[in-house]
Amino acid sequence: MATMDALIYPIAILVDELKNDDIQLRLNSIRRLSTIARALGEERTRKELIPFLSENNDDQDEVLLAMAGELGVFIPYVGGVEHAHVLLSPLETLCTVEETCVRDKAVESLCRIGAQMKESNIVDWFIPVVKRLAAGEWFTARVSSCGIFHIAYPSAPDQLKAELRTIYGQLCQDDMPMVRRAAASNLGKFAATVEQSYLKTGIMSIFDDLTQDDQDSVRLLAVEGCAALGKLLEPQDCVAHILPVIVNFSQDKSWRVRYMVANQLYELCEAAGPEHSREHLVPAYVRLLRDNEAEVRIAAAGKVTKFCRILSPQLAIQRILPCVKELSSDSSQHVRSALASVIMGMAPVLGKDATIEQLLPIFLSLLKDEFPDVRLNIISKLDQVNQVIGIDLLSQSLLPAIVELAEDRHWRVRLAIIEYIPLLASQLGVGFFNDKLGALCMQWLEDKVFSIREAAANNLKRLAEEFGPEWAMQHIIPRVLEKINNPHYLCRMTILQAISLLAPVMGAEITCQKLLPVVINSSKDRVPNIKFNVAKVLQTLVSILDQSVVEKTVKPCLVELSEDPDVDVRYYANQALQACDQIMMSS
Amino acid sequence: MWKGFLSKLPRKSSASGRGDLDSGQCSNGAGNGNPTQRTSSCGGSSVPSGRSTSTIKRMSSAIFPSSVVAGIEPLVSFKNVPNSEKQNLFVSKLNLCCAVFDFSDPNKSSAEKDIKRQTLLDLIDFVDSCNSRFSEPVIAASSRMFAVNLFRVFPPNYRSSSSGGGEGEEDEPMFEPAWSHLQLVYELLLKFIGSSSLDSKMGKKYFDHSFIVKLLNLLDSEDPRERDCLKTILHRIYGKFMVHRPFIRKAVSNIFYHFVFETDRHNGIAELLEVFGSVISGFALPLKEEHKIFLWRALVPLHKPKSVGVYLQQLTYCVTQFIDKDPKLAGSVIIGLLRYWPVTNSQKEVMFLSEIEEILESTSMVEFQKCMVPLFRRIAHCIMSSHFQVAERALFIWNNDHIINLIAQNRQMIMPIIVPALEHNSQNHWNQAVLNLTANVKKIFSEMDEELFSACLTKCKEDEEKQVSLESKRRLTWEKLESAAAFQPVTGHTAVLVGRQPSANLIATLI
Repeated sequence: MATMDALIYPIAILVDELKNDDIQLRLNSIRRLSTIARALGEERTRKELIPFLSENNDDQDEVLLAMAGELGVFIPYVGGVEHAHVLLSPLETLCTVEETCVRDKAVESLCRIGAQMKESNIVDWFIPVVKRLAAGEWFTARVSSCGIFHIAYPSAPDQLKAELRTIYGQLCQDDMPMVRRAAASNLGKFAATVEQSYLKTGIMSIFDDLTQDDQDSVRLLAVEGCAALGKLLEPQDCVAHILPVIVNFSQDKSWRVRYMVANQLYELCEAAGPEHSREHLVPAYVRLLRDNEAEVRIAAAGKVTKFCRILSPQLAIQRILPCVKELSSDSSQHVRSALASVIMGMAPVLGKDATIEQLLPIFLSLLKDEFPDVRLNIISKLDQVNQVIGIDLLSQSLLPAIVELAEDRHWRVRLAIIEYIPLLASQLGVGFFNDKLGALCMQWLEDKVFSIREAAANNLKRLAEEFGPEWAMQHIIPRVLEKINNPHYLCRMTILQAISLLAPVMGAEITCQKLLPVVINSSKDRVPNIKFNVAKVLQTLVSILDQSVVEKTVKPCLVELSEDPDVDVRYYANQALQACDQIMMSS
Repeated sequence: MWKGFLSKLPRKSSASGRGDLDSGQCSNGAGNGNPTQRTSSCGGSSVPSGRSTSTIKRMSSAIFPSSVVAGIEPLVSFKNVPNSEKQNLFVSKLNLCCAVFDFSDPNKSSAEKDIKRQTLLDLIDFVDSCNSRFSEPVIAASSRMFAVNLFRVFPPNYRSSSSGGGEGEEDEPMFEPAWSHLQLVYELLLKFIGSSSLDSKMGKKYFDHSFIVKLLNLLDSEDPRERDCLKTILHRIYGKFMVHRPFIRKAVSNIFYHFVFETDRHNGIAELLEVFGSVISGFALPLKEEHKIFLWRALVPLHKPKSVGVYLQQLTYCVTQFIDKDPKLAGSVIIGLLRYWPVTNSQKEVMFLSEIEEILESTSMVEFQKCMVPLFRRIAHCIMSSHFQVAERALFIWNNDHIINLIAQNRQMIMPIIVPALEHNSQNHWNQAVLNLTANVKKIFSEMDEELFSACLTKCKEDEEKQVSLESKRRLTWEKLESAAAFQPVTGHTAVLVGRQPSANLIATLI
């Protein structure tokens, strides 16, 4: 009976909740719209709920946003795709509100619904929505309409298609820049649905208009469309229509437009094919690399390797490399940093000789850069160069750079270089590492900043993995263990952490002989924090150690700690004891 | 493409309209299409030094050819030519001023910079003292000179990206390095537009829509001095060119929409609003529908951006101007403000409360009644805010006699909304000042209508007790609904597939 009662009232509940002053309650009820719909059944959902929502849309944006999202997945509740069109009306209204994110959500939901609708229903219901929105009085409706053309177009009969193309063309020339921007940014999507024959005529002329817009914010979005359009056109049409536009854009007055070109140029090269890129886009790219505005150079510099890959090595050396040289001493550190993050990738492209002759001096100068990010970026990609020319040529300059970074006053820089130490170790080899970097790795264990000490401990583990336990036994373990007598308890704590990380790599025997005694010894420390960390470390060691050792050494120590005056020490000791028992039980 | 275009230009640049305007700009930016006047600090690799001199050469061969050698040389003084020649000389001087210099290096071509400065001063003097009408070539050449000097693309704003978007922090404003010239150009533009010698019919052809849009774009300048000049000039243009007024209003609205709905970044909103303050006060009564739309669609949404504090004073002025003109607008404006209420930003909340008070000052009883219920619900929330400044500001409203009067006459509606908030405060609020103010408002209420006040108190206590049962009733209702829903088949799904929320919640609480 209870269910029967509820069946009668669902709408009333919703109405009641949507009238509540508390926005949280209103939001909750909208988010459970599907429950109400299910309770109502499909037919009443169509006839009562949806019309109610269509009228009841004067709420806070947050509620409207939730509604726009819910309606996008509502098809099952209104009776499947045949009835999907009833959802269009509330979404159409939501497409016209002021708040941008509500409109975007409504457009997204419309697209989702439209994509599932039957062709005949699209023609009868969806396309009229597109047309109404596109003719909307207020710009919000027209902006929204731009995002749903690509759903409507494929299902339209020829005559309607022509009409839709015309309407889109008008939107691209709308009075308000907001509408033109929306039309420009959706042009790629729409164009993808338009037939080849109209692409070259209609769409291209729309595109041409956009590229000459007064507002740089519109042109900017047109640039974004270039790559998308380029991929749709036949290569020769792309060369004929898109390339000149790009070349023009690369000289646009607005740096924002040029920045966008720099970002998109590589994709365009892909669309145009390598031959034409070489001929037409290299000069444009070179211009961007030498742009007045640092922002543009940053974007261009970041693409230098990708771009060189589609050129012949010869062309890259001739045309691009001179710019790279200039950029390596650019006045903006961000440009140099962007360059440093990709330049190592040029080595495989240029080959060994050119790399040694041309790139190496640039690497070396970037390695001496005053800005740590630049040096770090070079170091992070060392493996790419190593494959081509070997590391020897670089190692002499590398060391001072690493040492300087290792002692940088910004801890984030120190952290970054620690992260690269295993990579460096693998590239430079054991010998170099032992001579030069070993001491540094130990030094970090005593850093003032916790994150560095933590990373240092982790680094030791990774090194032990890289070079093997024997090496670690010889070079790491003794030096780590002697630090356990450091007067500062935070440092002793780091050593305990390092031990717990190293133990699994070192294996049971070494752990038992070398590491465990040190840990057990620390349980007598005067600082409680050390003592409870001993308990924690012992807990991790249990799974590595022999059962007899656990019984004989570990447990007595933990029992002792479990009677410590400090509450935290007792807590962790008991935790560890429990863990011991569990492991014993299972084995 | 530009090369071809340039070669077709006559060497005598006797300035005729649009085409020249564009070419002037282009020649300055030759290499990259960049303007030479860059404020960016990253001079760096790529400023060819020969650029400005090549520009100058082109400019120097005007009607009064002064010299063929590189660089510009001063032209004769206005005193030394007959009256009939003065306007021609004016054009030549304007053309000379089309040379744009690189100010990133203060030592570069300093002699030429000085000549240009002097020439600009001459031009200003001439406009000041001129009493015959400006000829068409004069207007064309000026509009071109203004365009060449002023219309530029601002460099990226490094400051805002590096400061991490901390709100309201006052950074040192960026100063335009070329200001010593720009200032004079702006002064000349102001005088020129304001001059009675400029016939507005002829002027509107050259100071056209495109010119206005570009001028408006400059208001995004980082330099406050530049924005100030532009503000005055915009005002003057609005006054002088009646035909452009609707267009200016539309273009400014577009800037507002772009700012509110898309970018959230613009430096000149305060200045634009300041101009609009006086534009609005000039609107004829009854207000046109177009103007009301501007209020609802542009001014009210302008309350939304985070940076509203920067221009709130000007915005409030505009809004109150509207309400002074047509008091019937107050209700809809208040409803609009409630829509954009900053629920998570206490600083903004305080500002909104001040604006609400200011609007209420000039609100009539009828309008007040239209919005008082949602308004006082919001105020009740503010009274209970744990941020003491918000609570204080909300309670201060009761210090205003006009508002007290409005409240008193509608106490049957308002007291039941506010009293629970007051009661909540006196029991829970941490701040002494808020407690005192709360007590004060309670006193006002009880003096206003003792009987109603105590009725509200009683009801408030009852409601509090009912609250718990209401909660559980609501939960029950939803549970019933859920189970009812679970029995209904759904197309394409089976009823079983539809997950039930409570079970998920249950798992969550168990974890």
